[in-house]
Amino acid sequence: MLKIAVMIKQVPDSQDISIDPVTKTLNRSMARNVVNPPDVNATEAAVQLKDRYGGEITVITMGPPMADSALLQLMGMGADNGVLVTDRVFAGADTWPTAFTLASVADYLGGFDVILCGEETTDSSTGHVGPGIAEFMGYEQATYVHKVEYENGFFVVVRDIEGAEETIKIGKPAVITITLNANDPRNPTLKRKIAAYKKGVKLVTNKELQLDPACIGLKGSPTIVKDMKTVPDPVKNPSKPGIEELDKIVSVLIERGIVK
Amino acid sequence: MDIKERLGKTKYDVDKSYAHITVDESICEKCPHHFCVMACPAQCYTIQDGKLNFQYEDCVECGTCSIACDQGSVKWTFPKAGKGVIYKYG
Amino acid sequence: MPDYDAIVVGAGNAGSAAAITMASKGLSVLLVDRSDPPGAKNLSGGVLWGNDLAQILPKWQNEAPLERFIQDKKIGFLTDKSSIIIDFKTKIFEDNKVGHTVLRSKFDPWLAKKAKEAGAVVIPGITVESLAKKDGKIIGVEESGDVITADVVILAEGINPRLSIEAGLREPLQDWEVSVGVKEIIKLSPQKIEDRFNLTPNSGMASEYIMGNLEELNVGAFFYTNKDSISLGIVAPMEQLRENGITHTYDIIEQFKEHPSIAPLIEGGTVAEYGAHMIPEGGLGMVPKLYGDGYMIVGDAAGFGFSNGLVLQGMNYAFLSGILAGETAAEAKGRNNFSSDSLALYRQKLEKTYVLKDLKTFKDIRKVTGNRSMYTTYPKMLESILLEMLWERGQPKKKIREILGSCAADLNVGKLKTATDFYYMYRRM
Repeated sequence: MLKIAVMIKQVPDSQDISIDPVTKTLNRSMARNVVNPPDVNATEAAVQLKDRYGGEITVITMGPPMADSALLQLMGMGADNGVLVTDRVFAGADTWPTAFTLASVADYLGGFDVILCGEETTDSSTGHVGPGIAEFMGYEQATYVHKVEYENGFFVVVRDIEGAEETIKIGKPAVITITLNANDPRNPTLKRKIAAYKKGVKLVTNKELQLDPACIGLKGSPTIVKDMKTVPDPVKNPSKPGIEELDKIVSVLIERGIVK
Repeated sequence: MDIKERLGKTKYDVDKSYAHITVDESICEKCPHHFCVMACPAQCYTIQDGKLNFQYEDCVECGTCSIACDQGSVKWTFPKAGKGVIYKYG
Repeated sequence: MPDYDAIVVGAGNAGSAAAITMASKGLSVLLVDRSDPPGAKNLSGGVLWGNDLAQILPKWQNEAPLERFIQDKKIGFLTDKSSIIIDFKTKIFEDNKVGHTVLRSKFDPWLAKKAKEAGAVVIPGITVESLAKKDGKIIGVEESGDVITADVVILAEGINPRLSIEAGLREPLQDWEVSVGVKEIIKLSPQKIEDRFNLTPNSGMASEYIMGNLEELNVGAFFYTNKDSISLGIVAPMEQLRENGITHTYDIIEQFKEHPSIAPLIEGGTVAEYGAHMIPEGGLGMVPKLYGDGYMIVGDAAGFGFSNGLVLQGMNYAFLSGILAGETAAEAKGRNNFSSDSLALYRQKLEKTYVLKDLKTFKDIRKVTGNRSMYTTYPKMLESILLEMLWERGQPKKKIREILGSCAADLNVGKLKTATDFYYMYRRM
């Protein structure tokens, strides 16, 4: 019996996002919300673990109240419980307070044998949250994984590393982040979706968690966005490959002695 | 405006593991009219090198081909789990 | 004990209207749609007449995501170089605001949400695989090997009634029963729309055309204004397309857009979406048996739609048939009898309303819309007459009677043929 959690996020469908030609900002007004694609792979990996080794799966998301539809969809695939972490004080979080809050939720729920996450989100692509949760929880971790086995209390995972694969064994409890297309996610079924709808999702706010307001939400976010620029498409504009910017960054890093 | 360019404006979530429409090539080979090529609004049916070529990825799920084909070649159903065409305006 | 009192397959206008009706009367309702969110697979020309919607949602005009109310209705005839348009602009439309342009991907999720608020369980993103049958009675739906049961299943599956056909509740559709609708959304700023069509920020224009510029095809076209886009498209009868055999449906809509009277109206606009949807046009002849043991059929799936070449309606028939099926289910629940005899009430209700009355009144309309002359010859005749009357060419003027005669002769139309055509149009329209 494995106690499994899957940390997921609802994101705007990347197909629906365009860049406003005038303001150069992302136009999300027409965007449909979907489950972050690798999170669906993580859920499939969880359901496969449950099928093979037995267990109970809890999908957890932090987001606005309407994010419950994402949880219901994944419960339709075979997750047993849904937990929606929602509170105004959590809003505006960057990856640090997000990982902190989600780790606190996992702790509040009694901890897990394994926490699965998608490798990264399509709307910010940091890949920070999974490893962050592992650090806050003091769990072992493996990132960019496309295959998970459970043997004698250990997880044997296959990681994607640039151009190669790496098989490692990690202990329990663990955080494992799953790559996009790691598996072929099953479709939700009508019966499971109805059951999910009847069961509903558990709401968790900061009343339950009692986290220090200085460590969560916008207040707890160390990231400051100073400026945003659109970079010309290097395929369409081969004369401006954006390499100059990269060179500048490298020379600043060398100047400050951060890299040699 | 070319039909392919127009179809490019429409949003899809293509189910790569499941073709909701299939055709029986052996029947199409003997088809006297290939009316599907004219009827399909999404140019899913084309004639290439004298043979009927079908692809389901651009399908807008209108069902036209299921009636246009009177030879019994087109096996037509809906995509699963919300996949396929996703109209943003409709 | 079945899982639900009623299962509705399809959250379009008919399905959601049925679900709202039943849920508000206290029935337990499951509404399943193959799209997530509901509506993302649905496509209409886009004019919604909401008289019936008001029965179940009295505040629809304030709450629904509507585009523009129809203030200006046009009927047009196109020839190669000309357009002849009847422009009907009336304060009556403005005072009532019953006709609105809508975009289904915005409207349908709202309607499904209303079904949820009324108490229905709304499950999107699931394609029902088949109907579950027991002893010849429909007892529920099947998906992924699971059966979900209900006293009654309402089939609102749209113009591709796959479940009904597979369960033997209706015959597969034939050429004469459908037209192929092809539509584009053209983005245009509200300012341009209002200037170009002489509209205010909320008022809109809806035009329907007969495309007399196509050889050997009876095709209708439409052009509607939304808030910041145009909905335009063509409607081509399947029979005509097959008989013609050399025209791509996707080229016909281009011909419409390129017509000298249409192109300037969409100038500067960009195509935002392309789509297609079939339209039921078989009239009474395509309507299947509408009910049986444990089921009722509503909306497009029942063949409910109206088209006479100049008017094209379907959404109002969908609302009303959905509401009436919902009422019937509620009454059947009261009697605890969902047999064919009990559900026959649905047809009786339909007989009393415009749904079946219209289909009966216009049962011969296809003889008009199928008449080649109405599309190819008469628009050209009208053009010739107007040229004779309105174009000063330094020629002696003719009396109308002479103009008519010479135009008919030019177009090789017999007087008797014209007279009989008009007689039948008069009789059937």
